Amino acid sequence: MTTQTADTLDAAFAALADPTRRAIVSRLARGDATVTELAAPFAMSLPGVSKHLRVLERSGLISRRREAQFRPCHLEAGALDGALDWITTNRRLWDERFDKLDALLIDLQPAKKRTGRARD
Amino acid sequence: MTEHGDLHFSRTFDAPRELVFACMTDADHLTHFWGPAGVSAPRDRITLDARPGGMFETVMVNDADGSEYPTSAVFDEVRPPELLVWTESHSGMRVRSEFISLGPERTEVRIHQTSVPEAFQAPEAQAGFLSSLDRFAAYLAGLAS
Repeated sequence: MTTQTADTLDAAFAALADPTRRAIVSRLARGDATVTELAAPFAMSLPGVSKHLRVLERSGLISRRREAQFRPCHLEAGALDGALDWITTNRRLWDERFDKLDALLIDLQPAKKRTGRARD
Repeated sequence: MTEHGDLHFSRTFDAPRELVFACMTDADHLTHFWGPAGVSAPRDRITLDARPGGMFETVMVNDADGSEYPTSAVFDEVRPPELLVWTESHSGMRVRSEFISLGPERTEVRIHQTSVPEAFQAPEAQAGFLSSLDRFAAYLAGLAS
């Protein structure tokens, strides 16, 4: 993993370490929204929501258009892809190691050669 | 306790616990499975000193293009045949492997990885990120669909 990828991941995980921000991300997954629209489901002031949006924006998970008056927020799916890729790769690494370990254990126990592979 | 950002894997093998543990701690065995599909882990490039403070270094070599992925860790706990804990030097990721005997010829290996720990030292993260990375992965997959 490159340093840049690691930094991006750190920022994405940290930004998603808050239930309000996860809810905002879920909402934005359905489409762009303004701060007012995002604040509606929460018992929270606009500045409170804006603070969360700044964290999400710094992490690269969301972006806001500079030119538009209401500056709708947009989910940057690519930032999530990095986190998901990392988890998926990590899981596959162990799965494939354990597939090979299964085969090795059968080789190491000659009596078991005909029983096939053990699975969960 | 659920730690910040953790991943769990479990696999059950038809083999005695002592043998499964030996495979994870003996370089002569490890070389046969440590590299995932399409990747080798040459025996002469494995350093495995299974005791607390001992080194655990490997180089995984991509069979297709020869590119190399070195790994480096230090063992924190070694308790044959039931527990192995190491910490990766480059990432700080802690990997805990539990070996659970389900019978004389059946062993479950549970891998518990505590990952990307720096991310959770940020003040905003201290509020409590109780979901594991497994749940996070499911959550992200749900968003992507």
